[in-house]
Amino acid sequence: MAQTVVKIENLVKRYKELIAVDHFDLEIKQGEVFGLLGPNGSGKTTTINCLLSLLDFDKGDIEIFGEKMSPTNYALKKRIGVISQNVAVYDELTVYENIDYFCGLYITDKQIRKKYVDDAIKFVGLEEFIKFRPKKLSGGLLRRLNIACGIAHKPELIILDEPTVAVDPQSRNRILEGILELNAQGATVIYTSHYMEEVEQICSRIAIMDKGRKIAMGTKAELKKMIKNTETVSIEMDQPDDSLTDQMSALPHVYNVEYKDGKLYIYCSGGKHNLIRIMGVLQQEDIHFGRVYSELPTLNDVFLEITGKQLRDSE
Amino acid sequence: MFRHNFKYDILTSLRVREIIIWLIIYPIALGTFFKVAFGNIYDNDIKFTTVKTAVVVNSQEGGKAFKQVAETMEKDDDAMFSFVYTDKEDALKQLKNEDVRGIIYVDSKLSLTVATNNLKSTMLERFVEKYNLNAKIITDTAKSDPAKMGDVAKALTEEVSTVKSEALSKGNTNMYDQYFYNLLAMVAMFGSLAGLHVATHNQGNLSPLGARKCVSPTPKITTILSNLCATFVVQAICMVIAVTFIITVLRVDMGDRIPLVYLTAILSGFVGSSLGFVIGSIGRFSESTKDAMCTASSLLLCFCSGLMDAGIKQKIAESSFAWFNKVNPAAVMCESFFSLNIYEDYTRYLQCVVTMIITIVVFITLGLLMTRRRKYASL
Repeated sequence: MAQTVVKIENLVKRYKELIAVDHFDLEIKQGEVFGLLGPNGSGKTTTINCLLSLLDFDKGDIEIFGEKMSPTNYALKKRIGVISQNVAVYDELTVYENIDYFCGLYITDKQIRKKYVDDAIKFVGLEEFIKFRPKKLSGGLLRRLNIACGIAHKPELIILDEPTVAVDPQSRNRILEGILELNAQGATVIYTSHYMEEVEQICSRIAIMDKGRKIAMGTKAELKKMIKNTETVSIEMDQPDDSLTDQMSALPHVYNVEYKDGKLYIYCSGGKHNLIRIMGVLQQEDIHFGRVYSELPTLNDVFLEITGKQLRDSE
Repeated sequence: MFRHNFKYDILTSLRVREIIIWLIIYPIALGTFFKVAFGNIYDNDIKFTTVKTAVVVNSQEGGKAFKQVAETMEKDDDAMFSFVYTDKEDALKQLKNEDVRGIIYVDSKLSLTVATNNLKSTMLERFVEKYNLNAKIITDTAKSDPAKMGDVAKALTEEVSTVKSEALSKGNTNMYDQYFYNLLAMVAMFGSLAGLHVATHNQGNLSPLGARKCVSPTPKITTILSNLCATFVVQAICMVIAVTFIITVLRVDMGDRIPLVYLTAILSGFVGSSLGFVIGSIGRFSESTKDAMCTASSLLLCFCSGLMDAGIKQKIAESSFAWFNKVNPAAVMCESFFSLNIYEDYTRYLQCVVTMIITIVVFITLGLLMTRRRKYASL
């Protein structure tokens, strides 16, 4: 059985009257890419900062690699790499110097450090920019430098707190691929984001947070099973009459039909061949329609069904 | 670990544009400006040198009396005036060539011609006024009480002839050097900006860099102390550059105890950096707010030490806030340079040095106490 890397029990963090983290429990196993998903202000970063012993918390226990985490547990800190949502590099140092400096806070041996720094530069693809100062780098390259500074010492646990904020899609994909590569090399990863697509793409297990609470946790499949919706069919068409919506509602597995923004939405719960049956009705009634989409539920649907609000509306 | 931090802290500090501008370029520019603005004032007008004066004697009787007074005055070691007897044409020529500061015409009474109005011409005017006044007293006494005339004449002649400059000490009394002391104090105080970053770059709740360092396995005290040492080294380099420029390029007379001037400048730099460290450690203001606080406090303290108005320090000394001059780091720095340059003994200088050392220790201790936290209530 895989070793427990992170264990958080009953964590509570208050800012005066506001409860930022509310009795939060978590257990992450070695080799996982664990996603912490939630809208802005849901308590993801606060949880991470408590985990890292940066923030004082009111209640709870935190263990990393089976040891109690504390600000002076330097041996434990050596095994952790942190990439925060704010870029934390020196403007006055070059790309190489920045990575060497931060790696040097973990690795004292110069020979090993040099190799690690070279590996990190190669890993994030900044070979051509080693003599550049951060101000000369684009947003995406800067994020990559930020990541290199956090992972150069080859940590066993990597914590990435919204590393793709304000990053172009190309750089974002590269970052996500890199995270999977780090995981493949043996690192356990904790990834926080409010972008559900990213979390869906790379995380093996996900905890969804809202208002400081963990509202759901599991694999993607487990999370999606928690909700009623299994398929949403949307059809571009003119406003349908009542008889058509009644016919659609009467189809097997359909539990809701609604028309909004020029589309007819048919929500299905379970079953197979829902789309074929819906198309059959449209053909039978000789209805003109445009594009048809069949979508499986997303984590946003999970969040929506549990909290009654959209993940992105909360941003 | 310390060496690794120290190396990069030095590198970072030397590449901070603000440090280059405020600690190297700005003092060089301002020092040059001071030299251009004040450098010649002292040499030409303030520094006490004998005022060379042409004398054109038009009256034998008046000339005899004047020569008697003039000879008495010229005998003195600290004689204010030296007189050259010549004719009017030559006197005017000498005045035009600035060989003499003025021309005294001796008739029944003295009259004066000067080329420019400055301190030396004013001294000549006062002398002529005094001479004419006393001559009138002697004339009046001769008419009213001839018996006392000898005593009066002797007394008045001595009064005029004993007018002389009294040097305050044997040191350099150029009052404009005060501006260069203030300039050095300002360079030291602007070092507070570098000290400020020591605090903000190591505090997890003040900057992302601080947070990154706090989650690393390097003890906080190591990063802070290496950072402080690097800041001190860079500050010392800047102070040495400033002093060297002032002494060798601007040729400001900093006295004959130059090694101590350098040491004092370096110590002053440490005071400035420590002040920045303590300001950076206070509260949770943003880095830009703290930058503004640092610049404002540095300028205010320099203002109170006389950077913009040389008289302000005296005004503070005469007010009920006289104690402020004793604790204002900028004023103490200026005082230490002044004491080194002026006084023979080291009593006042050592008082300043001890005050600066205590200031450094207090600031660093306060800063360390405030930055020692390892966990934060909020980020």
